[in-house]
Amino acid sequence: MSVGLLSRALSALCVSRAVSAQVASVSGVSAALTGSRGFMTSACVCQNRSLWKQREKYTVRPIGMKKTGGRDYTGRIVTHGIGGGHKQRYRMIDFQRLRYEPGREDQPIVEKVVEVRYDPCRSADIALVAGGSRKRWIIATETMEAGDIIRSSSAIGRMAVLAKEGDSHPLGALPIGTLVNNLELLPGRGAQYIRAAGTCGVLLRKVNGTAIVQLPSKHQIQVLETCVATVGRVSNVDHNKRIIGKAGRNRWLGIRPSSGHWQRKGGWAGRKIRRLPPIKSFVTAQ
Amino acid sequence: MFNATVLRIRTPAFKITKNCKSKDCHSVLYTIPHGRRFLSTSSCLYGKILPRKKPRVVHEIAGLEPITYADRMHFVPGLAKPRFPPWDRGWKDPSHYTSPKLEDMPLHKDKPCYMFNQRTNALEGVRQALWLSKSVIVKGLPAQILTLAEDPANQIENQDERVQDAIKNSRMWDTTEIRPPRERFCPSLLHRLLHLCAGLQVSRPELAKRILAEKYSLAVTWRRGEDVFQVRGQNGLLLNSMTPVPVLAGEEQIQSTADQALETFYPIAPTIDLQRTHVYQEKNDTGFREGYPYPHAHTLFLMEMGNTPKLFPEQLRAKMVMFTFGNALARAQALYGKEPRVLEKPIVVQSVATNGRLFQFVVFQLNTTDLQSDSGVKNLAWVDEDQPLYEFAKVRPFIKKKVVKIPAGLSGYQPDTFKKFLALYLHGAA
Repeated sequence: MSVGLLSRALSALCVSRAVSAQVASVSGVSAALTGSRGFMTSACVCQNRSLWKQREKYTVRPIGMKKTGGRDYTGRIVTHGIGGGHKQRYRMIDFQRLRYEPGREDQPIVEKVVEVRYDPCRSADIALVAGGSRKRWIIATETMEAGDIIRSSSAIGRMAVLAKEGDSHPLGALPIGTLVNNLELLPGRGAQYIRAAGTCGVLLRKVNGTAIVQLPSKHQIQVLETCVATVGRVSNVDHNKRIIGKAGRNRWLGIRPSSGHWQRKGGWAGRKIRRLPPIKSFVTAQ
Repeated sequence: MFNATVLRIRTPAFKITKNCKSKDCHSVLYTIPHGRRFLSTSSCLYGKILPRKKPRVVHEIAGLEPITYADRMHFVPGLAKPRFPPWDRGWKDPSHYTSPKLEDMPLHKDKPCYMFNQRTNALEGVRQALWLSKSVIVKGLPAQILTLAEDPANQIENQDERVQDAIKNSRMWDTTEIRPPRERFCPSLLHRLLHLCAGLQVSRPELAKRILAEKYSLAVTWRRGEDVFQVRGQNGLLLNSMTPVPVLAGEEQIQSTADQALETFYPIAPTIDLQRTHVYQEKNDTGFREGYPYPHAHTLFLMEMGNTPKLFPEQLRAKMVMFTFGNALARAQALYGKEPRVLEKPIVVQSVATNGRLFQFVVFQLNTTDLQSDSGVKNLAWVDEDQPLYEFAKVRPFIKKKVVKIPAGLSGYQPDTFKKFLALYLHGAA
């Protein structure tokens, strides 16, 4: 870009040689201004677009969000078709079910569901759980209701546990064929897979300290058996059956219409028959 | 912008001194501040939000002193950034005060304290308050107060009519709007009802030995199990009296509380939603000075005034129980000292909370200040919940499908609620 500017400037130089005498004084002043650094007395204007995110302490209170409109930090559109919609508030979800309260690392976590509610930031419902002297939001499973008791444990026993829906266990402790959700890829990192509404994975087999899980996309992944997963299916099972009804409802959700520019369908359209990719392993080589 | 670039390139830096007359320079600087960069408007609209940079790690090598550019007074590549001690302005400037770290504060203690203040929204409600104050709940008001309420001798002349007038005054005749805000009609209704009750002073001179206190601040510390708890801060309108409130439960009832077990709510800990702090003062204060002529807390009135938080009824009752308990405990500690003991003369404090329509009544009797263990004699709390004074007070009727569902004016007035209110007021003076 700078080369382009330079060439343009040089061409302008050639053309404007005749008038250069007239603008000499002005050009000198301008150069004096731009050539020297000068000092600014104004302070830098603080941006507040991403301030709402910069929070380190956990809270269950909803946080007011700022809409990005699909723009990144430089202001360019990185995701098309986002903008507008109803104002939303962000509730901090604790994806790490096995997060112990300080001082209670040795006991399994027992919590009571206080409330199950809609969350604008995701397709699944969320649940407010209270245990000990803290409260947190988690992703609700299919049959979770207010008043339920849910447990999280880190123990892998010799026998598989009798899994109850909503409890979370390491994959090594669960029987083969269990439906799981909120799956961790690395132990202690927090759930990253199988979090959308109505989804579930299947624990296929356990091999040599690792577990192989079938994802909702039928891909298979291999993770360590100490990775924690929640038993059951994610709530809001009928999420894919809802009827948007009109274009305006998508706008309420913050989704803008696609551009309408006609393009011939290419190879991306139509049915393709592909093999499943090989099992992806998240087990780091020792 | 394009033009500017051209000009900039045409005159290299060594020419600047030649071409630039100081006069020109001044005039242009005058007209174009900051060299054509209108940061005040452009940068907030188009400014880039750069992602946070990770702070550079500077390794310190023991025994080696880094050469800094401190004496050069400007940045020099290759030299280390100087580190200066924090600048001290030499005087105390309140607008630039920086507090010390929590650990360095003189009141910092290793053991955390759990505080209950008027904004506390206790998740488990009354159950949690009962555990914290080691008390046993009795549904409904005690028999003495109910007999006071039923006695026709205790009533005001034209009682129902005057109470209805008070409601209409605060709900309908107060404003030209359809409905005054709750922050307005709730305190005004309570003050009108209190004024009606105080009118009985003519026939009962004991009522003159009362005084209302606003914005008093309470502080009580106690230990329950292994934790330290406090009830703190301003809470409501307190009616003080010269004489103590008569004891409600007899000896047998007090002794029978020893057998009743406290309700627990595992897996939730009783400290949930309480403010946990390491910096605190173990203070015990009724909020009044030593020789205050009205030392006995009689009734605590809580209302929705706008500056107080809105709580759900269950949480509001928990707050009433906690603050009546706090008042009673502060009085007991002022009377008998901090030694935990079973009181010979139990202390009774009452409380009334309203949201302008529903009334909650709580009577608390402090039998013991030995709160450490769960066994032994417990305190008593009578809770009467959700008593409506009236159903609707509307300026215009509510009409649906051309049928008047709710008529204009006051409807559904319940005289029993005011009788209870009056009985609580008269308790100790009848």
